Amino acid sequence: MRKQRSSRPISQEQPAPRRERKMSRTRMAGRRQENRSQRRPRPRRSSLGAGLAVIAGRTAGALSRRLHLGGGTSIAGVVAQRVYPDIVEHLAGQLEYGSVIVTGTNGKTTTSSFISAILRDVGLRVWRNREGSNLLRGVASALVIRALPNGRLYRSGRAISIFEIDEATLPQIVPVIRPRVAVFTNLFRDQLDRYGEVNSVVAHWQRALQSLPDDATLVLNADDPSIASLGELFPGKTLYYGIEDRSLDLLAQGTAPERHQVIDTRTCPHCDSEFVYDVRFYSHMGHYRCAQCGLSRPHPDVYATHIQSDNFDRLRVQVASQGQQREIIIPLPGLYNIYNALAAITAALALDVSWDAITSGIEQSRPVFGRGERIQAEGRTVRLLLAKNPTGFNEVLRTLFSDGIPRHVLFVLNDNIADGRDISWIWDVDFERVAGQTRTLAVAGTRALDLALRLKYAGIEQSAMSIFPPTPLRAARSEMTTRRFSYARSARRRGGAATKTARASDQEQPGIQVQQGYGLKQAIDAALSQTPAGETLFVIPTYTGLLEVHRELEQRGLTPRYWEGRDA
Amino acid sequence: MTNPFTQPLTLTLGHLYPDQLNLYGDRGNILTLQRRCQLRGITLRVVGLGIGDALAPDEYDLLFIGGGQDKDQGPVAQDLYEIKGIGLWAAIEDDMPVLAVCGGYQLLAHYYRPADGPDMRGLGVFDAWTIHKGPQTSRCIGDVAISWNGSTLVGFENHGGRTYLGTAQPLGRVLKGYGNNAEDRTEGAVYRNAYGTYLHGSLLPKNPHFADHLLTLALRRKYGITHMSTVDEPESPDGLARADSAALHANGSSPLEMHDLEDRELLAPLDDRLEWAAHISMLERLGLHSAAAAALRSHKADPMVQRLRKAQ
Repeated sequence: MRKQRSSRPISQEQPAPRRERKMSRTRMAGRRQENRSQRRPRPRRSSLGAGLAVIAGRTAGALSRRLHLGGGTSIAGVVAQRVYPDIVEHLAGQLEYGSVIVTGTNGKTTTSSFISAILRDVGLRVWRNREGSNLLRGVASALVIRALPNGRLYRSGRAISIFEIDEATLPQIVPVIRPRVAVFTNLFRDQLDRYGEVNSVVAHWQRALQSLPDDATLVLNADDPSIASLGELFPGKTLYYGIEDRSLDLLAQGTAPERHQVIDTRTCPHCDSEFVYDVRFYSHMGHYRCAQCGLSRPHPDVYATHIQSDNFDRLRVQVASQGQQREIIIPLPGLYNIYNALAAITAALALDVSWDAITSGIEQSRPVFGRGERIQAEGRTVRLLLAKNPTGFNEVLRTLFSDGIPRHVLFVLNDNIADGRDISWIWDVDFERVAGQTRTLAVAGTRALDLALRLKYAGIEQSAMSIFPPTPLRAARSEMTTRRFSYARSARRRGGAATKTARASDQEQPGIQVQQGYGLKQAIDAALSQTPAGETLFVIPTYTGLLEVHRELEQRGLTPRYWEGRDA
Repeated sequence: MTNPFTQPLTLTLGHLYPDQLNLYGDRGNILTLQRRCQLRGITLRVVGLGIGDALAPDEYDLLFIGGGQDKDQGPVAQDLYEIKGIGLWAAIEDDMPVLAVCGGYQLLAHYYRPADGPDMRGLGVFDAWTIHKGPQTSRCIGDVAISWNGSTLVGFENHGGRTYLGTAQPLGRVLKGYGNNAEDRTEGAVYRNAYGTYLHGSLLPKNPHFADHLLTLALRRKYGITHMSTVDEPESPDGLARADSAALHANGSSPLEMHDLEDRELLAPLDDRLEWAAHISMLERLGLHSAAAAALRSHKADPMVQRLRKAQ
């Protein structure tokens, strides 16, 4: 049994000599974890149990990876939790600088990658849970794979963890992780079949906040009414961030007012009357107030006063806090990434990181997995822009199509469990914006036909898209077979030259032929060949679509496996 | 695409509570109706009817009401009952086509009984009621296909409440999925030209025949049968008597194809290959291969498809 180590301010820490330069500009007032351990009944430590759990979990993870059953991203945690249910609490308590959690509908991954870039710049050892494992088992995995068979974390000194947490999992995670900082990015409708309605997510969060330690800091988006209202429930320290640049108002920007916006929080949580907006950036994000009861957006502690776009993914943002103003370069496109950066800046300030480290951390951060990630393929640049819910999708489309440059685009729409089985939301996405703005357009994924239909009703000619459903229609195939005509073979033959005219395919299959090929492989081939060398192909996938695109590019040797070379 | 009509036709669609009831992509239904009208030279005006707005039945030809969050449904139910109720009843009794999806469907039945709390009173257009049996009963979530009018409708359902029909006719019979209550294999409800259903996804884009059916009902109601007989194949007005589409012709395809033909005379055929490909692929995903084959066959018999084929 070892006494739990306290988390000490960085400035009091004995720094490793080679880190001295960076340390000098850091003043990280640590929160003493002893306070917390005093309040909470110390869990009975079974080092033996934890050790066994670590061994079992790591073995399972290694096996799964070796056998290519998957990234091994969560199996280690599942097994370890089976062996020793308190493993997360046991290991998380050993982190010298504790944990930061990030949750919300959109921006979790990018925000935590900004935070980790900043904290690495400070010289901390940053641990994160990997892609797609933002449930409790993913957090468990992240800890278990860094633990030793004696149940101790490997190199837990100077370590801080940043966990992105699934919205609905938050109530289970907060009590076991006991984070120092909890960041809430935003709340939009997402996977209604899995999370339920927006209001039920708020209820989850309110429950989670009850178990948040009082000495933790809450970092909230002031511009999202349902996020900001969480601050009322928390007795401890709360920091808000927001955007003050009024020139970004949807109307002031000359954005056509009829542009469809999905608004998920319309009414005041106190009196249920509708919010009035002085400025609206997108969806329900903006400067709102309730005319009835006077509730209004809290004044942010950290805010962007002026935003200027240098080029597609280089934003120059003036960030102010406590009377100081700094210029920060955000190397990612889109208004939503400004919010992500502000969330990270605020979280870093809550940890008392210096502005220098914040500025250089954000500037040096690279786009993460699928969030603006750049991959070179056959002389073309592939940019992956994950879009998984209406507001996220709308903002990706706005980012891509607002400057009037026609783009090469491949959409991938899947309806696997991790994406949400319900794809109704594509009808809430403003695809009308895409019409006439694409040089070439390909559509793939398990629900390619639905997305193509959506695009058709957005005013895009069917002949202007290449459609790649996952499989041929069986009904059509069997009918063709009876005519002694191998439909499948012809489809395969066509696959190579996907640009053949729809007219030719009509002759072969009158009535129902709408596709140019089948499956993601052919879609990527076609989209790449449609994109002239030297130009950029924008791939906009849903979550599992992103994994599949990545796997496909990995198999072509264009990018490393996503569970390798990350979290370095 | 040629429009057989020379007179400009206009329809007005009343979209009830577009701000409150818009949760499940039901905007797709509006877009579909708009576009299918536009392609035929019909002007479809969409008017949003929010809380507090009166509903004058003679101003509209078609009504749509979607589903929303539970939180928003309370004020909507009150407004529907107190402000729009009489107008809506008058419109429905006057055979106005109404499409009510999910929450809107529940609001047009007698009542919605939540797991806890007081009943929410509905309009009682459909003799049906909805009970939420509490968090221990699982929600009905998933892809769904139903038989309708000799063909199929496909969509996605996501509802916690279970709806039970009294004397109301169901919209269709569940082929795959849950339907009204996951017990009796009924889905939706029909009263005159009012259709209630749990299918979203959105419903109309992948079910173009149902979209056209609603438009046909609206055109017929507004312009009368005589006006319509100016179209290609003249037909006796009596033959066009409003089809009781509520009636389920379980397997007999002949009366239903008849009905299909009637619809087509009113509306110029469109190139619906993509719509049907999406429809049929959903049937196949649900394992309904014979229904998929039937849908493919009837789609190929479509005059538009024949014309496309001839044009090659």
